[in-house]
Amino acid sequence: MTSPYDVLGVVPGATAAEIQSAYRKLAKKLHPDLNPGDKAAEDKFKEVAAAYDLLGDADKRKRFDAGEIDAAGAERPPRQGYYRDYAGGPADHPYADASAYADFMDGDDIFADLLRRSQKGRANRRGADLHYRLEIAFADSIAGATRRITLPDGGTLDVKIPPGLVSGQVIRLKGKGAPGGGGAGDALIEVEVLADPRFTREGDDITLELPVSLGEAVLGSRVRVPTATGAVTMTVPKGSNTGTTLRLKGKGAPRRGGGFGDQLVRLKVVLPSPPDPALEAFVAGWAKGQAFNPREEA
Amino acid sequence: MAMSKEAFLESAGLKGQVVDVWIAQEWLVPEQTPSGPRFREIDIARARLILELRAGLGANDAGIDVILHLMDQLHGMRQALDALRKHVGENRD
Repeated sequence: MTSPYDVLGVVPGATAAEIQSAYRKLAKKLHPDLNPGDKAAEDKFKEVAAAYDLLGDADKRKRFDAGEIDAAGAERPPRQGYYRDYAGGPADHPYADASAYADFMDGDDIFADLLRRSQKGRANRRGADLHYRLEIAFADSIAGATRRITLPDGGTLDVKIPPGLVSGQVIRLKGKGAPGGGGAGDALIEVEVLADPRFTREGDDITLELPVSLGEAVLGSRVRVPTATGAVTMTVPKGSNTGTTLRLKGKGAPRRGGGFGDQLVRLKVVLPSPPDPALEAFVAGWAKGQAFNPREEA
Repeated sequence: MAMSKEAFLESAGLKGQVVDVWIAQEWLVPEQTPSGPRFREIDIARARLILELRAGLGANDAGIDVILHLMDQLHGMRQALDALRKHVGENRD
């Protein structure tokens, strides 16, 4: 193995400054990024860099001179790639710079034409699509809404939520992505519909459980029912029960082909709390009620 | 394959503040995404080159600024020359 002193071309007694200067002279000629057209530079530079690793560090140099470590101990792990390996490929990176030949592009010769075309091809690339997430209330997913999202750069984006949207759906805003020479990319907004404790959506229909009093169920009544698009009045028929399901036509989610699903209102009879003594006295003296066993029916 | 700032710092052996300065100076131009900057392999190779220019070759910040600018132009020239070479090769009688 060649001595690191020979690699750097210095005598063993050289000063640190002489070693550094020798290294810099060689690195200028051999560093692959300072010599992008020299394919052989990489191997030669590796040797020079290893020698300088050893001799450029006073402590390592002392141990090397004392024979404690040899030149092999200073070998570097394989390097992952020089800048020229990336910058020398297709010029679709942000560091590409055409200013060195910009004046050549002004002419009307074949060279100028060629340069203009290669430059244009690069500039015509479309900007990247940008992804965002947006949470919306259940009611907004049914009725539709417009929401503004704030972008990381401080800008804003108005997102129109179409009626009937479900969680996971992606809204594409054309041209609202990253800019590019060939036009901006798109903004892709994934929408998450936040659960509403009252409503459950099944396809185009929306289910709601509605508590009613014993009187409303037994005698029938008109009650206010919340829907995703606002409260409506509904008739609870006489003799309704827990589990009775009433249908509010057209109060569901918008259908794909037009029209709307329904809202299904499932009644739940709720007794007064705390229990009422008069009701207790009535039920105790109500012979027919005592004879009725709902479990026999099942 | 792009990576987050943390992974980038790890790969290039750098400190966060240094990278912020380099980005401000446009020595590094990571891809901007809603979840923060994303670094590509070219950014890592460029960061390593900057470190070598500074440590081994003794360039100061002003010098690095000039070197990177000229190097980018050099690669641009090489691209142009390559396009010309291909064109001549395709159109040779």
